[in-house]
Amino acid sequence: MPIDECELVIVHTVPLGQEIRIKERVQREISPVVSCEVTSSLSGRHLYNKLVFLCCKHFDLCSTTVTGIPMKEEQNASSSANYDVELLHPAAAHDDLFKNEHAEGLVIPSKEGLPIETAPLKWCTPKSNVVELHQCSAAYRICPVDVNSRPSSCLTNFLINGRAVMLEQPRKSGAKVISHMLAAHGGEIFIHSLPTSRSILEDPPSISEGCGGRVTDYRITAFGEFMKENRLVPASPAMLERYGNRKPYLYALDQLEKSSRFWPMVISDTVLFNIQDINPLPQLLLKDSMTDEEVLDCKKVILKVVGMESKNDPLPVPAAGSRGKGPKREEQYRQLWAEMEALIRSYSDTSEGHAMVLECLLRCKKPGDDPVTLAKKTPGKKEDKSGSTAEVEQSWKDLDRFQQMTEREKQDALLGEKSLDAPPPKKLKSEELLMRSGGQTLLSMWNNRLKTIESKRSHEFDGRLDSDGDKARLYIHLDENR
Amino acid sequence: MPTVIALDVSLSMSRPVVLSDIPEEYQRRHLAVHGINTYLDYLSANYKLEFVSLVAFSYLYEQLSTFTRDYNVIRTALNKVEVFSKTCIETALNGIKHVISDEWSHTPCQVILITDGSLGIGVGSLKKSLETINMRQSVEEKFPLPFPFPCKLHIVCIGNPNDPDVRNALPYYQRLIDVGDQGGEIFTLDGAISFKSVEDTFNRLAEKYYNPFCGNLTCGNFSCAIQLFPKPELFIRHLDDGKVTYTVSDKLEILGFLDIKDIGSPPTVARHLVLPRSTKEKTDAKDKDGKNVKSEDDDDSQDDGKTPSFTVLLHGSLRVESMVAITKVCDDWYGMIYSWADSKKKSNLMLALFDPGQDSIPWTGSFDNLTSCKEYSSEDEEKKSSFPVKPLDKRSYAQSCVVWIKPSGLQSDIQKVLRHARKLPEKIHQFYKELNRTRRAALSFGFHILLDAMASMLERECTLLPGTAHPNAALQLTHAANFLRSDNAFDVMQSVTPLPTNFSSGNTG
Repeated sequence: MPIDECELVIVHTVPLGQEIRIKERVQREISPVVSCEVTSSLSGRHLYNKLVFLCCKHFDLCSTTVTGIPMKEEQNASSSANYDVELLHPAAAHDDLFKNEHAEGLVIPSKEGLPIETAPLKWCTPKSNVVELHQCSAAYRICPVDVNSRPSSCLTNFLINGRAVMLEQPRKSGAKVISHMLAAHGGEIFIHSLPTSRSILEDPPSISEGCGGRVTDYRITAFGEFMKENRLVPASPAMLERYGNRKPYLYALDQLEKSSRFWPMVISDTVLFNIQDINPLPQLLLKDSMTDEEVLDCKKVILKVVGMESKNDPLPVPAAGSRGKGPKREEQYRQLWAEMEALIRSYSDTSEGHAMVLECLLRCKKPGDDPVTLAKKTPGKKEDKSGSTAEVEQSWKDLDRFQQMTEREKQDALLGEKSLDAPPPKKLKSEELLMRSGGQTLLSMWNNRLKTIESKRSHEFDGRLDSDGDKARLYIHLDENR
Repeated sequence: MPTVIALDVSLSMSRPVVLSDIPEEYQRRHLAVHGINTYLDYLSANYKLEFVSLVAFSYLYEQLSTFTRDYNVIRTALNKVEVFSKTCIETALNGIKHVISDEWSHTPCQVILITDGSLGIGVGSLKKSLETINMRQSVEEKFPLPFPFPCKLHIVCIGNPNDPDVRNALPYYQRLIDVGDQGGEIFTLDGAISFKSVEDTFNRLAEKYYNPFCGNLTCGNFSCAIQLFPKPELFIRHLDDGKVTYTVSDKLEILGFLDIKDIGSPPTVARHLVLPRSTKEKTDAKDKDGKNVKSEDDDDSQDDGKTPSFTVLLHGSLRVESMVAITKVCDDWYGMIYSWADSKKKSNLMLALFDPGQDSIPWTGSFDNLTSCKEYSSEDEEKKSSFPVKPLDKRSYAQSCVVWIKPSGLQSDIQKVLRHARKLPEKIHQFYKELNRTRRAALSFGFHILLDAMASMLERECTLLPGTAHPNAALQLTHAANFLRSDNAFDVMQSVTPLPTNFSSGNTG
């Protein structure tokens, strides 16, 4: 290793009681790279003090004394006394303290008898175990001056066990100024500097005053789950080996991209994520590949929705939302199907299994349904593949028009729902609106509907799934056995 | 970034200005006040969280308004400005330094100094100040620049650019900015002095130094237009061989999430509010010329409130789950987004920037090395490699090293041996462990006489044993004392082991 610069410090030391006969010399340059200094000290404690002093100078350290640490007496555990512990740390941790012009009285001579000054800061007993996020401008490692004395190890153990201690500046005015915090991370203790001056971010506007601040039905809990699924962790050595040259964080980004392909932000914007029956479909889709069993689970969910629709089961949709009050049940199913398609389509190219799920969905979906995409509400980019934007716009407009109907019209529509078998003529008006969206006549729509209900009444014969046409061969393995 | 407006109120500012199109007579200070109002209008529209203070100066200075976001206070103060004696810029700078350090300590600030090109006369003139800059003796006399806090110094000169006084003054102003050494700019009027040219100049300054930072926050496929306040500054790191500059890019990318307990309270270099930006704003801005747009603006802001925004969703979940979002702001520079509340009621989304670089937080490890928790196949496997990232070496306070700096240190180690000695044979293993530890430390310090002293102590303990003591205790004490007196005791590689006795299996096993 080439040496750019060298400071040679010669410490002359003599046993206690003897006379130091060597004259000290201040630092002087011997050559452009070497400077030399001679200093002397008595042995024992004096030598130790000298060395600490030289360390502080060389590494630019300074001292803090934590005062008033309450500690049980060693002999008498029922009473407690206050102790002080002196710490060394990089001087920069006190930058803020001394920048202030009222710094007088903030330093006192070292309590451990070191030839340096120390800043006494008062211990504040932590009130709770909860780890809070403190605003902090710097963090530096510390070391107690007397490493293993009882007060020191009491303090260090307290910190290493996960508690954080706030430190308060002594102020004559009585104002409470907390300027530092001691906390351990990974077995190392740090002194954190906390800003004490006025912040320009004081009195910030509330988030509710800004864009989107008045929407009240965000999917907060679901996004909480999303965040937990996208938690970051350090990559293990084994993982690094597997990754090769690709950086670990890129895998986190992949995961983030994947899990956010279809994610409505607001409860009232989604039917899909409000119904329990949809599980475990969204979770299974996130997988890189699916087993036959998992594909079957996905298909089961789709078939379950088919069943629900044919029975006209009510869907749990919150009454009040930004899009107006309670859309018709039929509309809800349309949205549900559209959402399911968007969701499944956004993962369809992940694996063969995913593609099979999409295929299943497309088969089960009512043929009359528009290939509605929900681009408007979701961050996804992949679902744009299906349907042109014009169609999307049109269908949304229709939906909006439906919602703009007068209360009476809506009630009529809802009443109509209850007696599906004999739709009263009143229903026509709203029905007409819906019809236009599909570009179908009433007759074709009705026929389609009957057809779907018909086709879903019985479970599809499994043998037919693999067959070419409508006919399925029976006993296909019969010949093999011969 | 708080701003101090320093307005020259010397007599020269009351010189009349001849305006071709307006019959009334105006003075320079009126134009200056008009300029400041233009600037305040810009802030109200685009940068309303800025704190502004007004300082008037001539031979003396006076803070007319403390730092405030209520710009009407400043407008009112401007109306009451009177005219005093001669220009003295050094006084103004001293005043500004005082006003800022009292309030903000080390926060980056900006100063807009408004004057008319007259440098002042005599001792307090800028010419004299700059000539004597290196001759100041005492601390009190020291020239106020460079400021002890980060601060840009802008100088606006209200005067015809062709005016010989103005042309003469510009090099001195530049010198002032150079001495300040923290950036800033001279703003002169484009064309002859008029309300319009003053207005344009202040707008130019505001648009350059107070334009809001607009960017996009992404999180996977989520994307949201945002604004950061205050506007992020460049981060310049000085290295041995040159400097590296880091700039916050307009694409802020969330990498993933961490629990607050895992991130600790990491050191940060700057904090910015993350405010969602209306996507409609751009089209509005174009229409702003017409005044009738205003009512539509109100409608829009209401609509904005009802359009779901990713930032609000993120904020809500971060707060509920006590998590932060690790965000990449440019190559090798990271920050965390979290829910922050000034008071209990109003909370908002905050971006705190770490020190640039991969390893700015020792306990999370390098940012590039973070990956999705889904990459681990099981929870157990994940736990093995989770936070905090532990350093390779153990700190001296985290292990039981022997420290005999003060007599108390030695004393407590010896006492520990004796405490165990008194509880023999139950504490036989602890006794020999402590004995060996102390002996090894004594040997490595060259403290050989301690061995003999310890032997004597153990022998004394042996004689003090009560009659009820186990016979094995006396055997072990004698054995240990004998060893300490033997030659083997001086060999660091050797250690003293319990004496095998017939009792030992019964008592310790």
